Amino acid sequence: MTDSPQSPSLASSASPALESLLDEARSLRWEVGTSFHEELIEAIYTDAARIADRAVRRPDRKPRFDIDRSIDRLLTSRLWGFPAMFLLFTLIFWITISGSNIPSGWLSYVLVDRLTPLLRSAADALSFPWWLRGFLVDGMYLATAWVVSVMLPPMAIFFPLFTLLEDFGYLPRVAFNLDRLFRKAGAHGKQALSMMMGYGCNAAGVVSTRIIDSPRERLIAIITNNFSLCNGRWPTQILIASLFIGSLVPAYIAGVVSALAVVGVVMLGVFLTFAVSWFLSRTVLRGEVSTFSLELPPYRPPRILQTIYTSLIDRTLIVLWRAVVFALPAGAVIWLISNIPIGGTSIAGHLVGILDPVGLLIGLNGVILLAYIVAIPANEIVIPTILMFTVLITGAQGVGAGAGVMFETDSETTLRSIFQSGGWTVLTAVNLMLFSLVHNPCSTTIYTIYKETGSWRWTAVATLLPVGMGVALTFFVTQVWRLAAGF
Amino acid sequence: MPDPLVALLVGGGVLLCGILCIWPRGGILGLRRRLRRLSTRVLVEDALKHIADLEIKNQNASAQTVAGVLQISDGRTARLLADMEQRSLVSFHEGRLRLTSKGREYALHIIRTHRLYERYLADVTGLSHSEWHRRAEAIEHRLSPRETEALSLRLGHPTHDPHGDPIPTAAGEIGPQQGQPLTSLPVDQPARIVHLEDEPETSYAQLIAESLWPGMEVWVLERDPQRIRFLAGGEEHVLAPSLADSITVEPIAEEQARGPRCEPRLSSLKPGQKGIVCGLSLACRGNERRRLLDLGFVPSTPIQVEMVSPAGDPTAYLVRGTLIALRREQADLIHVRPAPETAEQTAAAAGTGDGTGPEASGAR
Repeated sequence: MTDSPQSPSLASSASPALESLLDEARSLRWEVGTSFHEELIEAIYTDAARIADRAVRRPDRKPRFDIDRSIDRLLTSRLWGFPAMFLLFTLIFWITISGSNIPSGWLSYVLVDRLTPLLRSAADALSFPWWLRGFLVDGMYLATAWVVSVMLPPMAIFFPLFTLLEDFGYLPRVAFNLDRLFRKAGAHGKQALSMMMGYGCNAAGVVSTRIIDSPRERLIAIITNNFSLCNGRWPTQILIASLFIGSLVPAYIAGVVSALAVVGVVMLGVFLTFAVSWFLSRTVLRGEVSTFSLELPPYRPPRILQTIYTSLIDRTLIVLWRAVVFALPAGAVIWLISNIPIGGTSIAGHLVGILDPVGLLIGLNGVILLAYIVAIPANEIVIPTILMFTVLITGAQGVGAGAGVMFETDSETTLRSIFQSGGWTVLTAVNLMLFSLVHNPCSTTIYTIYKETGSWRWTAVATLLPVGMGVALTFFVTQVWRLAAGF
Repeated sequence: MPDPLVALLVGGGVLLCGILCIWPRGGILGLRRRLRRLSTRVLVEDALKHIADLEIKNQNASAQTVAGVLQISDGRTARLLADMEQRSLVSFHEGRLRLTSKGREYALHIIRTHRLYERYLADVTGLSHSEWHRRAEAIEHRLSPRETEALSLRLGHPTHDPHGDPIPTAAGEIGPQQGQPLTSLPVDQPARIVHLEDEPETSYAQLIAESLWPGMEVWVLERDPQRIRFLAGGEEHVLAPSLADSITVEPIAEEQARGPRCEPRLSSLKPGQKGIVCGLSLACRGNERRRLLDLGFVPSTPIQVEMVSPAGDPTAYLVRGTLIALRREQADLIHVRPAPETAEQTAAAAGTGDGTGPEASGAR
């Protein structure tokens, strides 16, 4: 065969000898059986293993392995496995929450309390018109400063701690311990880890689903990550619970009750994660590929400096950058709709009027819905936006910092009087807590979901499914509540 | 504010409608699928497939068998067959229903699409075997010959569907169905399952429930007119002959057989026990199979059960120096044999200085 390779068309005009050869090949084709591909692959693997066995010398690593097994025996034991896990994660959450209060306070003091007036006077010194000053400083700058000061410290603490555990080799053991629970919901044990990451930030949680190698389980983990209460939503939950739920009971147990209310919302989130995973794996995701395997790497002493560096660069800064990119236009929009009047009322006023009937039907109000729509880039600015809009709409005197300028206050009486002027009841508070858990992910997360799945369809599912569920949930809670209350 | 009761009723109604629309079976989508099944084209194609199927098995189709398979009235069947004859897809020859060459080509395209698509579902998607037939029934009416060809190319031109039925080639050739029914296999003759009949659905479901797959080795232990007792997949199965008839086997030489010994599943090993992988079950396909092979679950690999999750599942196995956790249903797919106590291992046990000797280390 000197003139080969030949074009396929030659076969038809070929010599009878070749023709008969092809005929024989065609008839033999039926006799090779169904499993020859498999046998071939197995033979290749077996050969490779034999060559490796002959060529690779393995030093005796027995003692090293025994240490690993002893740690494993403790961390995955029937008796100690779950308590150890619970303790470790409680510790991490505690360090994150208590540790981030102080730097958050500093950042907020510097960026919001100090730098904002400075920028305002700088704008005045440069004789900017009032609207340009408001648009740039009160709108864009303030929203961004807010997001950074609330978001940065918890992420800068949580992510390195989490990465250290990962580096040490413990996280795969968590997946190993919890897999059975997730399997029942049609999900992967490693989803436990992306959920934990979601408590820090949903965008980072979505990125962390990369550790799940089975496509179906990965999509489930991405879509349900939103039900992990991220750190942008914790403050909302805690504030509303202590203002409204805590005040329902005597003062000496108010703290405990409001904490329990927040824990209840978190538990509802966990329940929804499993319920939605179960639903998705049995309906829309039935045909997707699913495999399971979990490598349990040997324990290693964590490389602390490297870990802190990579987790700051890879997770914290990237997420922060995306948040800032989305917060800038949001701040601009919030300032603009509060300050551009149409027929004597600001655009925000009109929008609130339009949204009010819908909001009241699901036990919220127009202000809250509008805040959720314009503050889609970051859950951190939802409460400041709600406060600002409420003051703007009700025209309350003596509070707030002007139209379009977000603010927050530590004074409980001020907060309560603002909320009361907005017509809030306990039902509004309950629904706000529920809606804060079950609504669309923030735009940073939506963008991240698109980046990770590469599909607008799954991005739309991940965005619209929680909003739909949230609206349905608050609607039914409201109507049942009103029915029970008898009005 | 609307009356809460009215609002609740309206809201509940809307929610119910939404659920009804998207419910996979019985919902609006499912209804559309069923309606499509009743269209004339689908009936014609199903009838062609049925006649071709019987012709391949050297049996005769009749108006009655067509009506039975399509589940339509005799009158409608008569109209359907008359229509098909007019389009010269079938001919009545001495009262027998035969396919014309045009009809045969058409039928083989449908069968080819069906079997290729089942192959695709088995190897590429994660759908369970109970879904394959149903989905292939729907897709076979929708693919053009060109799309079918593209599918075949993507799958590497497979010869058989996952049940062991030969897939017709694009040129219309179809390989012979090899083998003999399990009921005619002599006792103690090793054989390999080459085909499971996937119709009717209930008997196929029974075979799947017994976890029998094409490619498995079988050894008949005992046979009498009421039942047939045989070993397959390391387990003993007892089936009625009518059911065993839908299993086709091909005898294999004694030395080729892995032997009934080599069939226990990895999931049957207790923590601390060792074994040697002797192969992956044929129920394990596509991505999952490739993944397990990648991880080193290759024949003749030593394996040891290291630890079990506190929740009872999954279990971690030591393979080539790496700890890999697998779920029970995956460990079910890996066949092992007990590890022999080799001289090397004995020496290693003695070398670590615990001085237990072969008996003790064997018992561990």
